[in-house]
Amino acid sequence: MAAKDSPLKQFEIDPISNIELGGYNISFTNSSFAMLITVLVITLFLTLTVNTRSIIPSRMQLISELMYNFIAQLLSDTVGDNGKRYFPFVFSLFMFVLIGNMVGMIPYQFTFTSHIIVTFALAAVVFIGVTILGFINHGIKFFTFFYIPGVPFYMHPLLIPIEVISYLSRPISLSVRLFANMLAGHTLLKVFAGFVVSMPFFTGVFPLAFIVALTGLEILIAFLQAYVFAILTCLYINDAYHLH
Amino acid sequence: MNYKNKNLEELGKKINNLNNQNKPDIKKKESGAGFGFKISTEIIAALVVGVGIGLIVDNYFNTKPIGLIIFFIFGALAGFLNVYRVMRRIEKQR
Repeated sequence: MAAKDSPLKQFEIDPISNIELGGYNISFTNSSFAMLITVLVITLFLTLTVNTRSIIPSRMQLISELMYNFIAQLLSDTVGDNGKRYFPFVFSLFMFVLIGNMVGMIPYQFTFTSHIIVTFALAAVVFIGVTILGFINHGIKFFTFFYIPGVPFYMHPLLIPIEVISYLSRPISLSVRLFANMLAGHTLLKVFAGFVVSMPFFTGVFPLAFIVALTGLEILIAFLQAYVFAILTCLYINDAYHLH
Repeated sequence: MNYKNKNLEELGKKINNLNNQNKPDIKKKESGAGFGFKISTEIIAALVVGVGIGLIVDNYFNTKPIGLIIFFIFGALAGFLNVYRVMRRIEKQR
């Protein structure tokens, strides 16, 4: 579908090495490569900057501590004291999405968060984990999550399916939001980049200026979406503790 | 040593002042498009789940259009519920 200079060319998966195992295609693709880079960047950045452990932090150490505090604050605000044990999970999720988006902002670099299967897998992990957590905390009583107290009894046959559908729609809205934002942003960038070359004389300068502004906006969105992903995870964990 | 500590204290005061100044207007940066996007994904997600359940039910019980119709309506209602919850969360933050 995507021709040689289509704006959608950037989302194509191309296998770097073909691997097949038990009938499944588990090739190492450019998407996996981007993920590998992301994990490497996160690990190296966090370990190297916090390595010195100075009381008066350097700028880089300050960034790491800022990120740590950001998520720790988020968890204690939304979940409370119970939230501390989910810090590693939420922090790695946040960093993976954030650095993945940022790595995608580098020209010629693949953005793996622009594929719905990646974001849906992340959201499904959150969804299944939170559901299991709810059952661990409340046992069979977790089903009262779908039962709204203080409603006339004849409304329940109507309300319970609505509540269940609303609950099941969580991973979809979580994944679609991240994926669509990255897809739309990167497509827009490439479309305007196409205008720069195709417009006559010097008028290509205007789309170029627009791209510069748009890149700044994209970096903001990259951060904002990672933040939204983290805060919604926190809210869902909170729901698993406090029904209603 | 004393001189250094004094400097640090002043710096701390400065940082605290700046932090207090900057805090209120951080959350108002969200654009209108982002807000609309948030709302629309909530509705679409609920509709997708509703229609999906409807199709599965139809397949299972051979009740061709009825399950789809009923669960489509449930999905739409769940979408409105989602939007209502998002709005309430935003209201709380203000």
